[in-house]
Amino acid sequence: MARFLLLRLGLIVVTLLVISFAVFGVTEVLPGDVATQILGQGATPENVAVVRERLGLDDPWPMRYASWVGGVVRGDLGESLVQRLPITEMVGGRLVNSLILASFTFFVAMPVAVAVGIWAGVHRNSFGDRLASMFSLVAISLPEFVTGVVLIIVFSTTLGWLPSSSLVEPGTNPLTRPQILVLPALTLTGVMFAYVMRMTRANVIEVLETNYVRSAILKGLPMRQVIWRHVVPNAMLPTISVITLNIGWLLGGLIIVENVFSYPGIGRMLLTSIQTRDMPLLQALALLIAATYAVSNLFADLAYTWLNPRIRFA
Amino acid sequence: MSIASFLSPATRESVAPPAEGVPLLEVRDLSVTFYTPRGTVRAVRHASFTVRRGEVLGLVGESGCGKSTVAFATLAYLPGTAEVGGSILFEGRDLMTMPAGELRDLRGSRIAMVYQDPGSALNPTMRVGEQVEEVLHTHLGLSGQAAEERAASLFESVGLPNPARVGRRFPHELSGGQQQRVVIAMALACEPDLLLMDEPTTGLDVTTEATILDLVAELKDRVNAGIVFVSHNLGVIARVADRVAVMYAGQIIEEAPVRELFAGPSHPYTAGLLSCVPAPVNETGLMPQLRNIPGSVYPASEPNVDACLFADRCPMVQDICRESAPPEIAANAEGHPVRCFFPERVDSDTWGEPTPRPRKPRSTNEAPLLQVDGLHQYYGTDQKKYIFFGPPSRRPVRANVDVDFAIQPGRTLGIVGESGSGKSTAARSIAGLERRTAGEVLLDGEPLAAGVGDRPRGQQSKVRMVFQNPAASLNPRLPIGSVLVRSIRKSRGIGKAEARGIAVELLESVGLDGGYMDRRPRELSGGQQQRVALAAAFAADPELIIADEAVSALDVSVQAQVLILIAERQRREGTAFMFITHDLGVVRYISDDILVLYGGHVVETGPAEAVLRPPWSPYTEALLSAAPVPDPDAEPSRIRLEGAVPTLRQPFAGCPFAGRCPRNLGDLCNNTPPPMRVDSADPRHQILCHIPLEELAADQRAAMRGRSAVGETPRGR
Amino acid sequence: MATATLTPAESERGNAATRAVVGLARGARREFGYAWATPAGRIGLPLVLVHVVLAIAGTVLAPFPATEFHLLDRFSGPTMTYWLGTDEFGRDIFSRVLSGATSIILVSAAGTALGILLGTIVGLSSGYAGGKVDEVVMRVMDGLMSFPALLLALLVLTTLGSSHINIVFTIGIVFTPRVARVLRSATLSIKTMEFVQSARLRGEPAYYIIFREILPNTTPVLTVEASVRLSYAVLLASSLGFLGLGVQPPSSDWGLMISEGRAHIANAPLIVLAPSVAVASLVIGVNLLAEGLREARELPKGERTP
Repeated sequence: MARFLLLRLGLIVVTLLVISFAVFGVTEVLPGDVATQILGQGATPENVAVVRERLGLDDPWPMRYASWVGGVVRGDLGESLVQRLPITEMVGGRLVNSLILASFTFFVAMPVAVAVGIWAGVHRNSFGDRLASMFSLVAISLPEFVTGVVLIIVFSTTLGWLPSSSLVEPGTNPLTRPQILVLPALTLTGVMFAYVMRMTRANVIEVLETNYVRSAILKGLPMRQVIWRHVVPNAMLPTISVITLNIGWLLGGLIIVENVFSYPGIGRMLLTSIQTRDMPLLQALALLIAATYAVSNLFADLAYTWLNPRIRFA
Repeated sequence: MSIASFLSPATRESVAPPAEGVPLLEVRDLSVTFYTPRGTVRAVRHASFTVRRGEVLGLVGESGCGKSTVAFATLAYLPGTAEVGGSILFEGRDLMTMPAGELRDLRGSRIAMVYQDPGSALNPTMRVGEQVEEVLHTHLGLSGQAAEERAASLFESVGLPNPARVGRRFPHELSGGQQQRVVIAMALACEPDLLLMDEPTTGLDVTTEATILDLVAELKDRVNAGIVFVSHNLGVIARVADRVAVMYAGQIIEEAPVRELFAGPSHPYTAGLLSCVPAPVNETGLMPQLRNIPGSVYPASEPNVDACLFADRCPMVQDICRESAPPEIAANAEGHPVRCFFPERVDSDTWGEPTPRPRKPRSTNEAPLLQVDGLHQYYGTDQKKYIFFGPPSRRPVRANVDVDFAIQPGRTLGIVGESGSGKSTAARSIAGLERRTAGEVLLDGEPLAAGVGDRPRGQQSKVRMVFQNPAASLNPRLPIGSVLVRSIRKSRGIGKAEARGIAVELLESVGLDGGYMDRRPRELSGGQQQRVALAAAFAADPELIIADEAVSALDVSVQAQVLILIAERQRREGTAFMFITHDLGVVRYISDDILVLYGGHVVETGPAEAVLRPPWSPYTEALLSAAPVPDPDAEPSRIRLEGAVPTLRQPFAGCPFAGRCPRNLGDLCNNTPPPMRVDSADPRHQILCHIPLEELAADQRAAMRGRSAVGETPRGR
Repeated sequence: MATATLTPAESERGNAATRAVVGLARGARREFGYAWATPAGRIGLPLVLVHVVLAIAGTVLAPFPATEFHLLDRFSGPTMTYWLGTDEFGRDIFSRVLSGATSIILVSAAGTALGILLGTIVGLSSGYAGGKVDEVVMRVMDGLMSFPALLLALLVLTTLGSSHINIVFTIGIVFTPRVARVLRSATLSIKTMEFVQSARLRGEPAYYIIFREILPNTTPVLTVEASVRLSYAVLLASSLGFLGLGVQPPSSDWGLMISEGRAHIANAPLIVLAPSVAVASLVIGVNLLAEGLREARELPKGERTP
């Protein structure tokens, strides 16, 4: 077990290094000179040289990478080119906003999806199962921006129940106006719910066909007990891996949903940084999102290990 | 503590005593048909039988004959696509029309089942104790401490070690034999009236199988239940059954008390089955000949016809057999039923002369074809507890340690041992599929490179391999002709048309006509697939064919065909075989020389006739005594090995077999590596043991004469 | 004859490649045949075909050029002239949806094909090679996969700049590790099968074993994977369009149409709804097809007899 934990921790360090390297590499090969971008098209060569000097742009790339990573490790994500503010400060509040939205979705959608998936798997081919399967197929087929826009048309412009955009006063928290969370969360939930539900259903069906479930039935156990003690625990193991994969999807969906609803989170900020070519900010956000994903993968992995006696007692 | 006390008086009384004369189980004219997208499967065709309390009915037949379907039907457990005709009466009540609630009350409490493949029959994420306790809870209302204690005494009654604590284990922490004991304990939990055992020992090692069969034999006397014991293995059936029903193509073609059936079968199929099983060793040593049943089983996809379903394979077939279905008649004065028009004509000559296996005499001066010296095969590397430092947490698996042997041209070396003994590993290293860790291998005096890819073309075509699973031996996407043509062209460098001609001849030589060239593997039966695999191996004219459990997955009738085919090929072409098997009967028929492996080490080697007679290494002796004998009167010998082959991650301090050896001498065996002793009667016969061979031979002969002496040898620990 | 100039080994190699392609095509056709037999496939296949036909014939069928302004007919509702109305510049929405179909289907299909091709090659060879090579290759793939797909796509596109080719390339890059993983695990299970071992014993070279023995046996996995990937590709490509990193205006793109139409939701909802329905129906079609392919493969599972 000690060995396993060490391996996993070692692996995540490697993954984070790879991610930082990739983010740095991708943004480094961008066409266009950062100094020129800061100063605008009319900059004199002398000014450009001064700025390059100040930003350390003339150093060889390994040094720049080292100083960037060193900063990140110390909690210094650099300075935004556009806003001229320390990125660490800019990101903080936005990150909290995004986490509120994501966890709302995650902790509401997941349990419901798993429950519906179990029900549908057990009642395979029933009317309810077909209905749930059909609904979920449509849900995974709709891009978030389509769902979001359709929800806006229905609940905002037509019914007028909910606001169409989720802008908040700078410095305040979306929780002060919970109604702005509803549509974004609903949009994010759609795909997540459908995917997890389908996977849970498929796993339940697979486990129902195993020999040990047959043994449980032929032991004369009540069906309820067969389902809850034999089917569900075994079907949940692979479902956890699926949920893990979905965290990545959730993060991607977050980028889109935040932009659909103008929600002040890091996804919105990421797009802004791309549009304004704010490289340090883009690097920092990409690193943050990828690292969040990697760390949540680690937790899911540990959960899987802990729940699986084959590994736990190996 | 007796199992009967588990039943509370209340439960006992709620079971109304059946009316006088009503059998425990009566299956009347049962038909089971599965309607599947790929066609109709007639698994059972009008089968009838009864089971009485206290008796064991053996249900025997080859794969696809419907025996397992009968067992599951008896628990009314069939998929929705099944159509059931006839009735299954348990104490006079039809299970097929019983309400679901009542059926659930019967399952697990009055009718219980033991399955093939216990590993998959147990829930992997639940402790085994809980899995037994939930039966006690559901049917007897026991919970907590009481349930735990009863589970523990059940574990004790099925002979699990450490019964008080074994319940805390997960299934994967137990060996196959222990898993099956847990399943049996689960089935016995409510003292059922009817116990269904579906191939309970198939897939287990012979040594484990023997201990499970001992348990079943003991249960028979202890619990007053009717037992239906399903098996394909006649030796197993002979050991446990009181009465035997033989199934063929979904029908019961003969039913008789066990001694009557084995002594004088009345159906030609039964007679054929008995004659094509290579019997394990007796004092005569070798088995020189074998019979076989031609053709293959009447497929379940075929409709019911008004004819005898065995007619196409029957040596005494008459016109009437093809024109009307034989009625069930009494075969003899005792009245045992048989489905044949001419039961009185069935005798020992029904299947004609057995085919003798030619043996090439061993010439003393001939150079060996294959010479293996000091073969080592390790898997994996050292791992440390904290990755880069700390104590070693995992060492490599030492699958073969210092294995030496030689194969003479045109002769067969049989390699035997339990699973985990390293037999397949040796095969794969020599074939070059695994790179050996160390050791020298010479083929025709030339060194053989470790990986097959590094061997020159000429050497590559000299060695071929045939595998256990016929379905996986052929690429499902390619017509079977293509592998033959490819192999021929590869080894002889000739044109396509010419190669095709040779391929057709090859197919014919294994009993398939040229029309099979363009068929896909899935259109063939298992036996046919294995013959194509053999033809593909022959295609290169190899000097050595390595057969890794090549007949183990086949039905006995087909197995005999393939064994005879191999013997025939060897006679004609002088091909040498390295034949790996766990079946001692097969070894006895096919081998010229035998190598016995245990825990990756050679424990005995020599010419077959010498190895099969005392002195044996204690391990060989245990293997031979565990093998089920298709003779109900055979006295079961008492040597039993508990547990499984030990972990191979540590080198053995003493003898590799010391931990399980019934003849263990104590300190000497445990801590000193034994010498390889040479038999004075035949210097090629060698045994790895501390006990002098004269002493071993004397003990073992005495044990065979008076079976009772074996358990307590003079040198017993 | 062309082969006359090749050495026997070369012609054999070429032969094996051709046969592998022919075999794959046959395999795919068989899989689609099976899928057609399932209810999901019955709906999905025609739905996808309709989209493909519209994408091919789109420019011919469209009543107006997709970029033509009709400034007098801005925000027109559906009429006989403008079947789905017009947008803020008076462009015909129907024509724009049709022309968007061409670009998204082309881009998604090409991107999927690239991802499948690269992923198959990487997965097959890494899985077959095994050992250290496999270890290193799969670590790199894991590294690529540790980026959420959309983030990776955004990063790559930001670097390369937006164009059809670059979107195709981006989708390919994003898919490669995912396809490679699936194909690798298929390869790992097939390579231990006895017929592959027999081929090794015959002395067959690695390319023959990979392409003739292993690849044809992956067609069920491959077809399902390709169809699933295609649906993701459409989602990804349209999401990129929505975020403004897709095809650049004025050429039409469903995602971009929705993004730009948001401002006019109140008075002209069709600007947004038409491309929404288009993208949804395409992805639903592809998903149903994938479902059908998977279901068709599961048929043997259902017919197990106890």
